[in-house]
Amino acid sequence: MSTEISNANLQDAQLRAGIDRSLRHPVMFFLTSGAAWLAVSLILGIISSAKVHSPTFLDCCSFLTYGRTQAAHLNLLVYGWGFQVAFGVIIWLMSRLSRQTCKAAGLVLTAGHVWNLGVSLGVFGILFGYGTGIPWMEFPAFTWPVLLLSYLAILVWSFVQFKVRPEGSVYISQWYLMAAMLWFPWVFATANILIHIVPGNPVMAAGIAAWYKSAMVFLFFTPVALGTAFYLVPKVTGRPVQSYSMAKMGFWSLAVIMPWAGMQKLMGAPIPYFLPYVGAAATILFFIPALSAAVNLLQTASSSKDVVMHSPTLRFTMAGLLGLIVMALCAAFINIPGSTLKLSQFSMSGYGFEILAIYAFFSFVMFGAIYFIVPRITRREWLSRRLIKMHFFISIYGIVLIALVAVFGGLQQGMGQEEFNQPWIAIAFRAYPYAWATTIAWCFILISNIFFFLHLLVMWLRLGRRSIHPTLLISDHGASPHGEDGDIDNCGPGTVTPAH
Amino acid sequence: MSSPSPQSNPQPDLDESINVTKAHGRVELETAATLRESRIAENGHEPVALWVIVACGIVLLVAGAVLGRAGNFFSYGDLTRPNYVRDEIPGGAAKGPASKPALAAFSSRGKNIYASKCNGCHGADAKGDGTNYPSLVGSKFVIGDTQKFAMIVLNGIQGPTSSGKVYGAGVMPAQGAGMTAVELASLMTFVRNSFGNETGDVVSIDMATKAFEISAAREKAGQSVTAEEIAAKHMTMLPGEVLEPATMVNPSNLTPAP
Repeated sequence: MSTEISNANLQDAQLRAGIDRSLRHPVMFFLTSGAAWLAVSLILGIISSAKVHSPTFLDCCSFLTYGRTQAAHLNLLVYGWGFQVAFGVIIWLMSRLSRQTCKAAGLVLTAGHVWNLGVSLGVFGILFGYGTGIPWMEFPAFTWPVLLLSYLAILVWSFVQFKVRPEGSVYISQWYLMAAMLWFPWVFATANILIHIVPGNPVMAAGIAAWYKSAMVFLFFTPVALGTAFYLVPKVTGRPVQSYSMAKMGFWSLAVIMPWAGMQKLMGAPIPYFLPYVGAAATILFFIPALSAAVNLLQTASSSKDVVMHSPTLRFTMAGLLGLIVMALCAAFINIPGSTLKLSQFSMSGYGFEILAIYAFFSFVMFGAIYFIVPRITRREWLSRRLIKMHFFISIYGIVLIALVAVFGGLQQGMGQEEFNQPWIAIAFRAYPYAWATTIAWCFILISNIFFFLHLLVMWLRLGRRSIHPTLLISDHGASPHGEDGDIDNCGPGTVTPAH
Repeated sequence: MSSPSPQSNPQPDLDESINVTKAHGRVELETAATLRESRIAENGHEPVALWVIVACGIVLLVAGAVLGRAGNFFSYGDLTRPNYVRDEIPGGAAKGPASKPALAAFSSRGKNIYASKCNGCHGADAKGDGTNYPSLVGSKFVIGDTQKFAMIVLNGIQGPTSSGKVYGAGVMPAQGAGMTAVELASLMTFVRNSFGNETGDVVSIDMATKAFEISAAREKAGQSVTAEEIAAKHMTMLPGEVLEPATMVNPSNLTPAP
């Protein structure tokens, strides 16, 4: 290995280390506080799910009623966990991809605290009975400007970094992340202004809320997760993305199709007749961006199967991409007007789909990113491969159970609702076993995440391993893909080497 | 460490040189993870696989079919569907009000028939008047075997009643003319379960149909029954299919709900 190449590698590594160091406080803050809200959300999810089959469970106080815990659970999953982990990953990825250190870490950190304040006020508002009752917008109306302004303060620096990036083509991840960063304020401001500030017809407000929920999933969480996956997979396997044209197809179909989705939830309501049909068609068409991105990445990784098995990052990311395919199939399956749409319209299928999107797809990719990012910003390696494995497998069991149960149980529930000359209790009995299974599945997910929380806490306290070797899921001593002890610089150009 | 500080440089007179070994050693400890990384390679240029195109094409067809169902898609004069009616249930079940348990559904129908046919003589409380019209409360003809009750309603009764007493009216006129099996069944169910009578059973439509057949087949068809005829021939329950009182039925036609 010649000296110049070694120096170039060294300079690259020093730049990366500088970026990581500049971002370590805000990124760690977003990841840890996101994880803390995830814990609260999971506990509230278990409580609200238990109330479906055991209504007397914790019926002591008004703030633990189903209507409040369910709303608090979903809103925390979205704004407490989903957005914060997305912030952490976006600011890190945008800095790395633009090759700029973060010059405003303090401001980002402050804005992150403001966001957390908004989320806390919102969730207390829900629990004390001041929720708005609009799905995914249950936080009291005064919180949305707080969230929007802190969002802008957190991510404006990533726009600046993108503006001053070195010359060269824009990488696929940057397309997705930039799009998500631009779409969120548009969607969030539109929905909140049209519902809270200039309210029109209440039926249309319900339509806007349905569109907002769908746009959050398809125009924020999906592009953030895809942008992250398009970074992690080539980075860890060391292979280029299989097909540039397929990536373009996936991105532009997402951008063109998905803003139309959402209003199918109002099928049969007195809104312009074509809106629900356009919404249903667009949601079915989510299959195209989802399949082209997932297949592209899975094929990229398929030539490095052993790396996928070894790397915690890739294991989670691959599981998330499989979750994306399942989510896309589900989107097509439960939204066919005249057949399945009326069964899923007012049943727990919709909830199952949201959990598929936020947990099975988005969160799994985010866990992958966390397992990649945290060792770099803390300069410690993950402590234990067993904790990672427990997190992975129990999460998989939980999410598979919850998705199957909520989607198919919701269809059962829908069939019960269609038989409108049966008493309502018959529908509750149809959904009863599924409600039990949902509670058990949430318990699985909580248990798996306890391992994750502990592990993240240890890393946050800088108690990770001080080592030059990454923590891999399979140990094969003597045959490490990273070379023998002491030989760390084995990542020269032209060699296909993983970088866990 | 992005750059080694001057203090760490053991060769101060050679400013531009870096002690690679030492710098490398520090970087090694602090940035091992970043050193493992390499730059993301240029994008690959594989063509889009045929099966992906086919799969996307199928989904496009499905979505197109969904849009096709929207009908007058861009006809802005006809944006909302007028006179929205609910779709039929796929099983072909009747539309109508929510189903009720059989006992409640039959009784509430029977109450109306009682009001129009029986109220005049037997009274709103079914106690009669004690002299001309007998009480139906606790009457053995009413709460006993259903067949006697059916014969009396359909044909009327002459002479002594179940208590052996002959009332002032002397004869109860036949009520069967124009009555349907559904009406007979619901009337009997109502009387047998109201005013203090509590048999708890339902006279099914099938049983009422059989009652019309038995009534038509009597020797003295068309004449009132008597206590003797009842004792001789009709001391039994009506044949026909029994309906459990808790069965859910459609209140509009009293048939079991699907």
